[in-house]
Amino acid sequence: MNNEKKLLSWKEAYKLNIRAFLLIYKRYPKMIISRVILAIVIALTPYVGIYFSARIIGELAGARDITRIKELVLATLISAAIISLVRWIIQRWRNTECAGMYYKIEMILNEKLLDMDYIDIDDTKMHDLLSIIRQNSNSGGWGLYRIIGSLDGIIDAFFTILGGIVLTVSLFTTKVPESAGKYTILNNPIFILLVAVVMIIIINISPILTNKAGSYYAYNSDSHNLANRLFGFFGFLGHKKELAADIRMYEQDLICNKYIDMRSGMFLSAGFMAKLAKGPIGLYNAAASAVSVIFTGFVYVFVCLKAWAGAFDIGMVTQYVSSITKVAQGVTSIVWRIGDARNNASFLKQVFEFLDIPNTMYQGSLTVEKRCDRDYEIEFRDVSFKYPRSESYALKDVSMKFKIGERLAVVGPNGSGKTTFIKLLCRLYDPTEGEILLNGIDIRKYNYLDYMSIFSVVFQDYKLFAFKLGENVGAKVDYDKEIAKECLIKAGFGDRLAEMENGTETYLYKGYNKDGVDISGGEAQKIALARTLYKDAPFIVLDEPTAALDPVAEAEVYSKFDEIAGDKTAVYISHRLSSCRFCDTIAVFDNGRVVQKGTHEELVAKENGKYHELWFAQAKYYA
Amino acid sequence: MSSEKKKEKAPKPKYNMWQNAGFMIKLAWKEKEKKVLAIVLISALLAVASSLINLYISPMILSTVERKAPVSEMIITIILFVTAMMLCQALTAYINSNNLFGRVTVRMMVVKRINNKAMTTSYSNINDEKFIKLLGKSFDTTNSNDKATEAIWGTLESFVTNCLGFLLYLMLLSSVNIFMVAVILITTIIGYYINKKINTYEYVHRDEVADYEKKMQYIRDVVSDYNASKDIRIFGLKAWLEELYAKSMKLYMAFHKRVQCVYIITNIIDIVLAFVRNGIAYIYLINLVLENGLTAAEFLLYFSAVGGFSSWVTGILGNLSTLHKQGLDLSNVRECLEYPEAFKFESGEAITPDNTKKYELKLENVSFRYPESDKDILKSITLTLHPGEKLAVVGLNGAGKTTLVKLMCGYLDPTEGRVLLDGKDIRDYNRRDYYRMFSAVFQEFSLLAGSIAMNVAQTDDNIDMERVKACIADAGLGEKVKSLEKEYETLLNREIYDDAIMLSGGETQRLMLARALYKDAPFIMLDEPTAALDPIAESDMYKKYNDMTKGKSSVYISHRLASTRFCDRIILLEGAGIVEEGTHEDLLKLNGRYAELFGIQSKYYKEGSIENE
Repeated sequence: MNNEKKLLSWKEAYKLNIRAFLLIYKRYPKMIISRVILAIVIALTPYVGIYFSARIIGELAGARDITRIKELVLATLISAAIISLVRWIIQRWRNTECAGMYYKIEMILNEKLLDMDYIDIDDTKMHDLLSIIRQNSNSGGWGLYRIIGSLDGIIDAFFTILGGIVLTVSLFTTKVPESAGKYTILNNPIFILLVAVVMIIIINISPILTNKAGSYYAYNSDSHNLANRLFGFFGFLGHKKELAADIRMYEQDLICNKYIDMRSGMFLSAGFMAKLAKGPIGLYNAAASAVSVIFTGFVYVFVCLKAWAGAFDIGMVTQYVSSITKVAQGVTSIVWRIGDARNNASFLKQVFEFLDIPNTMYQGSLTVEKRCDRDYEIEFRDVSFKYPRSESYALKDVSMKFKIGERLAVVGPNGSGKTTFIKLLCRLYDPTEGEILLNGIDIRKYNYLDYMSIFSVVFQDYKLFAFKLGENVGAKVDYDKEIAKECLIKAGFGDRLAEMENGTETYLYKGYNKDGVDISGGEAQKIALARTLYKDAPFIVLDEPTAALDPVAEAEVYSKFDEIAGDKTAVYISHRLSSCRFCDTIAVFDNGRVVQKGTHEELVAKENGKYHELWFAQAKYYA
Repeated sequence: MSSEKKKEKAPKPKYNMWQNAGFMIKLAWKEKEKKVLAIVLISALLAVASSLINLYISPMILSTVERKAPVSEMIITIILFVTAMMLCQALTAYINSNNLFGRVTVRMMVVKRINNKAMTTSYSNINDEKFIKLLGKSFDTTNSNDKATEAIWGTLESFVTNCLGFLLYLMLLSSVNIFMVAVILITTIIGYYINKKINTYEYVHRDEVADYEKKMQYIRDVVSDYNASKDIRIFGLKAWLEELYAKSMKLYMAFHKRVQCVYIITNIIDIVLAFVRNGIAYIYLINLVLENGLTAAEFLLYFSAVGGFSSWVTGILGNLSTLHKQGLDLSNVRECLEYPEAFKFESGEAITPDNTKKYELKLENVSFRYPESDKDILKSITLTLHPGEKLAVVGLNGAGKTTLVKLMCGYLDPTEGRVLLDGKDIRDYNRRDYYRMFSAVFQEFSLLAGSIAMNVAQTDDNIDMERVKACIADAGLGEKVKSLEKEYETLLNREIYDDAIMLSGGETQRLMLARALYKDAPFIMLDEPTAALDPIAESDMYKKYNDMTKGKSSVYISHRLASTRFCDRIILLEGAGIVEEGTHEDLLKLNGRYAELFGIQSKYYKEGSIENE
């Protein structure tokens, strides 16, 4: 991404910021309202103190009326206490509303992930986009999160300016007495206008310089992220406990140190940003600070001259100087915030690019009848499939009919399209060409969730979660304990379950609950199997369920397969061709096509066939 | 609850906060990041100077007006102060723009040390819960800018500033009235300690809040795990995940509501104390104006100084408490770095692998038990891996196959007995050297974020490309690599590089095999290297096995019994011991456990034998 592309037009930046604001506001209105109210209170209340203390000083420098001074002091102290109390009550309310803001904002991204079409979830381009969004958010605070800060800042600045102006209007309107001679020029409207213009110019220079410095960070944030990512990888490799043996055997500490010692990460002392900071970033920031002090000096000169000439007392000098200084800070802040929001717009654009990924899968409205006879017939008709941005077909011209209650084995070399085939069957993807029919109707015409409900799948990389065992099986919080238990026993997990004190209420792993239990790979597989049983769908698909199992456990799965599959239609994918023996039909995949189909006996007899080759590659070791 | 708290308090940190601050200062010095130290001092001086200018600017200028001094004097006063302030502010801004980098770098040097410790510490420490806990804490202390290893510079800077400011204001105010100074000091200190007491609420309940955070974070991670998205869709898990998330969020919010309700008390106390402090200051100073002829400008100066003095005191107390907390975190880091080593490294005898030589590895009466386990996973094993022998280890899951290999490789030291390399106890060697005797493919492998060639050679310079190519070809990955646009320079790890590719499970396994071959060590250990391979690739691997291990001793772990037939000797582990050993034929003839397991596995490969099931 180059720099030119990143600074968006004001109009576009405005639209993106408003959209992001509304997105957050609609979800968390109380959070936003509490912040706005607090920002207003924080902006306005200091002026009360400024007002009273100016009066006290004025009185001390002037008439020194004891009762008047007493009143003023009391008013100052009491107003300060009340304001402080109000401010803190609002602050506490705001803090309550804003608790967990990080998670709340993260949730916006997460919900999108849950709702996205699977084909996009699987798309590396989406992965890249999301990881850039997250990196920018974590390293520079760019993106949605920044909207909140911008809002606070802009509201605060706006009301600071407003309050300050109210307290300084009289500075410009109060006239120097005619007796002041040449100083009456201070009363001249043109002179006053000139002073105001100069002030406005100086006020604006500082934030422009600050934004200039800040833009270096914004523009370089992702082009120099690689060094950071490399550091993130090599600097923390040792924390991966499960890799400890491998790391030692290959002395990977050496290569890690090499990368760490480069010190070239974006924010390291030999990095790119460090150089910029010594040069332009540092200088711009220094200049910005200097300019804002010049402004203060200018204000002092103007205000003191008027006071000296007799326009007002020195109490008013403190009021005017403090108020104008605050106005200046407000302007600096608002200009900076607006520039910052513009910088942030390009990051928001990425966020919306992600949130706007459309759900392109056509979703029909036909319901899938719940049939007791499980009479669901699925047919692949000339189905071909290409992964997005891929030239070659992962699946080509596949035609196949599932017979009800049939056991189908799917075999073939690595990368032959077996898992893709399953993903199309469960409609995680839609075919690029051809169609898949359920009881004669294109599956796209069915309600998506309804269609999914007829499948139970144990994927090769199935996931269990660190929640309660029973919840994992029932896939919800209020699962049926009895059924879950039954399914676990059926899946062969009964022995371990009996050992568990809390039964199905036991937490798995320790990621969610520290009292969770660890389970072995074989046990996990059984729980995954129990989950498919609990769902009790008419189609059951098992993808490499025995890869991690020893011969005894494998034999156990084989012998249970019939019982597990029951009257369901079952698909079994495996490298272990022995599994083909208990399936009715075998489909052999090679290079995305179904090259052979038939029973084991038929296929093994065809000596030139792929199946024959695969079978004997394995079987010869067992002869 | 209270007993738990006591338990946590019990272990006294190894180092106090000053020692820990000293540790960081020395580290910055040693790592040639001295600018970090210079910046701390300069920033503190600038901050105090700034504060003094701010304190005097208004009163001094006002006094010229009040006295009706000549206009030129007034203008000069303004210019003097403004120039001084400009210098201060500009320098501060410049330094602030630059202070990050050195600080981050020093933190990264801590990261490096921790990472090195984790990567090289005795393998037994990896299973030591205490070490792992320290390592986890150390990680938490280094993973962002606001953690102790970086934030300490800010604390020190602020501490120096506050101390200098305190002294200067003390001198200023003492000249007015020592009694007033005492009042400010007392109200400020009382306020601070009451606040501190109440503010421990969150700290005391930190486990509760950490639990909610952990839960929300876990769900966030699950949702962001692309691999889990298939299961989430097929089983309709969205509602489940959202419900659990909402539950934790609700508790989390309720917790924070309680916290905020408690904290409001501290604010009320602060308000009362400020009322008292300011009230006394007003009364006293106004009295001075009325009775002793103090000017309005002087009044302003002293009144501002009262507020300033109070904040210096609060600042110092706050810094000390922060420094104490950061000290505890740093103490953890140091304890982690200094964690005792069970193995010999530099102090051990050096050994260099010599491929012309044949080594004999012997387990003598070896038993092993994992810490916190109540039974031996291996018991009284005696086994010799003869020079050049190909040994297969088979057994069910959990029989101790991997443990056996880890004992041989020197990752685990036997609980009883000895492991001998050519008759010498391996514990006497420099363990790092000893690992050079082995090439291995474990089930968990550490893929580097780099090119294919780098992953094979495990370095990114001086790569012997011819050897890389040969090893990749031997591992059966040659065609795949040649089909890639950048061939051997193709990058792996999509999370790091935008143009990286992802290898499949089977391909990665072959890449790891190529890496083992490239290392070319006298011993080669393979743990389930074919689990992810299809039948043809698997068969291909078996055929090549002899070539690959030529001239070396090797150990091959598998639960696929067929894969062991090309080995010289098979041992079957069960019940913590070697129950059978011999060649495949021997063991079948024996008709024992091995034959039984082989029967179970081969049943389905034999024609017409499944009907009787």
